[in-house]
Amino acid sequence: MVDTLFIGLSVGSVLLLVALGLAITYGAMGVINMAHGEMVMLGAYTTVMTSTWLGLGIWWSLPIAFVVTALVGLLIERLIIRRLYGRLLDTLLATWGVAILIQQMIRLEFGLSFFGIHIQGLGPGLQNMSIPDVLAGTINIFGAEFNKYRVFMILVCALMTGVTWFIMYKTSVGMQVRAIIRNARMAAACGIDVKRVNALTFAFGSGLAGVAGVLMAGFKTVFPDMSTPMVVDGFLVVVVGGIGSLIGSILAAGLLGQVNALVAWGHNDVIARAVVFAVVILTIVLKPNGLFAYKRR
Amino acid sequence: MQATKLRLNLAVYLIFIACILLAPMFLEEFALNRLAKFLVFGMLGVAIALSWGYAGILNLGQGLFFGLGAYMLGMSLKLASPTSMAQGSDTPVPDFMLWNAEPGSKTDLCCINGGSWLWIPFQSHWFGILMGMALPTLVAFGLGTVVFRKRIAGVFVSVITLACVLLVRLLIVDAQPLTNGWNGLTDLGVLTIGETEFDPYSATTYYLVAISLSVTLILGRLLTETRSGMILQAIRDDYNRARYLGFEVSSFQVFFFCASALIAGYAGMLYVIVAEFASPSFMELSFSITMVVWAAVGGRGSLIGACIGALLINVIETSVSETPALVEAWKVIIGLIFVLVVLFMPQGIAGLASSVTDRALERFSGRAARLRQADSQHQPAE
Repeated sequence: MVDTLFIGLSVGSVLLLVALGLAITYGAMGVINMAHGEMVMLGAYTTVMTSTWLGLGIWWSLPIAFVVTALVGLLIERLIIRRLYGRLLDTLLATWGVAILIQQMIRLEFGLSFFGIHIQGLGPGLQNMSIPDVLAGTINIFGAEFNKYRVFMILVCALMTGVTWFIMYKTSVGMQVRAIIRNARMAAACGIDVKRVNALTFAFGSGLAGVAGVLMAGFKTVFPDMSTPMVVDGFLVVVVGGIGSLIGSILAAGLLGQVNALVAWGHNDVIARAVVFAVVILTIVLKPNGLFAYKRR
Repeated sequence: MQATKLRLNLAVYLIFIACILLAPMFLEEFALNRLAKFLVFGMLGVAIALSWGYAGILNLGQGLFFGLGAYMLGMSLKLASPTSMAQGSDTPVPDFMLWNAEPGSKTDLCCINGGSWLWIPFQSHWFGILMGMALPTLVAFGLGTVVFRKRIAGVFVSVITLACVLLVRLLIVDAQPLTNGWNGLTDLGVLTIGETEFDPYSATTYYLVAISLSVTLILGRLLTETRSGMILQAIRDDYNRARYLGFEVSSFQVFFFCASALIAGYAGMLYVIVAEFASPSFMELSFSITMVVWAAVGGRGSLIGACIGALLINVIETSVSETPALVEAWKVIIGLIFVLVVLFMPQGIAGLASSVTDRALERFSGRAARLRQADSQHQPAE
């Protein structure tokens, strides 16, 4: 039982990291980023690439993946998202196209595979990432054995959530983001450079997804389609938690992670996913604004 | 000018219908079967345009209705398959049920495994056809009633429909003894109604699909011209104003949601007849989003536009896919098309065509007006 809850917690924490990025971009910018999952995938591939080509371990991958995905996010915002503000459903469609493009970019090795050039670590195949010895095995906490890597995952996610909270509630940029979530036009009228803050928000959210990707690389196989279910889950978390609400996302991620783990433990994985979807549908029907709606003014 | 445009619109419908009805004269069996599949996809495009373009409901789970329709008729056709008859019992039993049979149970639909009795009425093709239309409509009615009564709108409807389709897909996959799980229903028999056999490669089947699509297009277009169609568009444009004007907003939305589901379910049935399988892949998220792509490229605000969009993309995709090296590249192109269409052509091909005709008509009527003016100036002189 404790094991199950622990697995639920670790799954929920990665889910949270993915959802946090979605929650702030959706809340602040009114953008549904279906390419967010591809940021997770890019983060995972960054891990694979840094270890095969630079021989760097997972410790280095965390900051590198954050920077890489944040830059990609910035690029997407500049090229596409910026033109679509105020067209919520269109952002969903356009970013779905972006997601396909990014996946194909990895699968076709940036198009080089047409010319017969292959880069190790890219391509359509599966990649495996070994975890460092420090994180292998189990650790004893309060007399119970826990998988070290999962503990590490939970710690990193907690840290990143803390950083996000700090930025959102203790810095001036964060205050600007919160102002934009409440009312973007009023914020602009108060002299906040909405475009710039939005671009930064988007980059930061993408960076968080990249970190989640690094963590995923350690315990799942890395392949170009790996993150498609991830973005759906992350999106469900955002909607269940209430748009723009950090605390809502945290609780929703925990809830969905636990529901998944508990049902999977009692029945099987397929039914567990089905139950998660049922919980989501019920939540939206009963509380259309999510569990913790952030009031807009 | 409005009247001219309406006439042009009518002409486009007629030309399109004439084209698809005349196609069998020029195509051989294999190409005909393939075109029939595309026409089914065109029908899905119509269903999406009806709910998205006219009702403003972006349904990311249209595959649910398509899949339900497909499975209902698929069950009937599975029982009609020769292998189902040859399982050593008097009544047909699907082969996969035998593989998943409960030990010691009788080889009969009544009790071979838990729930297999649900299949019994599907021995009648009429029952399968009826269910293929009724079940998607009923599901849409239930879902729509809950969602629209609660005044859930916009992206939340998309999320609910998305969660629903994934939920049902998992249930079907999990009910392996009853549905053959991931593999879906394959090795199907041929639909027979009265004396007519609908062999997937025959012209009869093609005409069934083509006529169904034509009727759907015409009825759908007429539906949007009715009073309720107008009210629906008013709701799409301004939900609150429509409410304040005293319309029972949710019942209009539910009605069109059901209509869209019915079309999708019917398309699902046609697809089973043409493609001879039904599988959980119909309910994958990517398929439902692909349908939305077709409608977006063709033009979400136009039924025939969405239909042509679906045909166009599938024709190009199939011709590109014949070169294996280009299969992956095609995905890049489709991703790019999607981004570019959303950015620069939000109303799709139909929107483009509409604005081009507008401009042409303006120029034309402008010239006509000048000519008339010139004439009237000449007259006094004579």
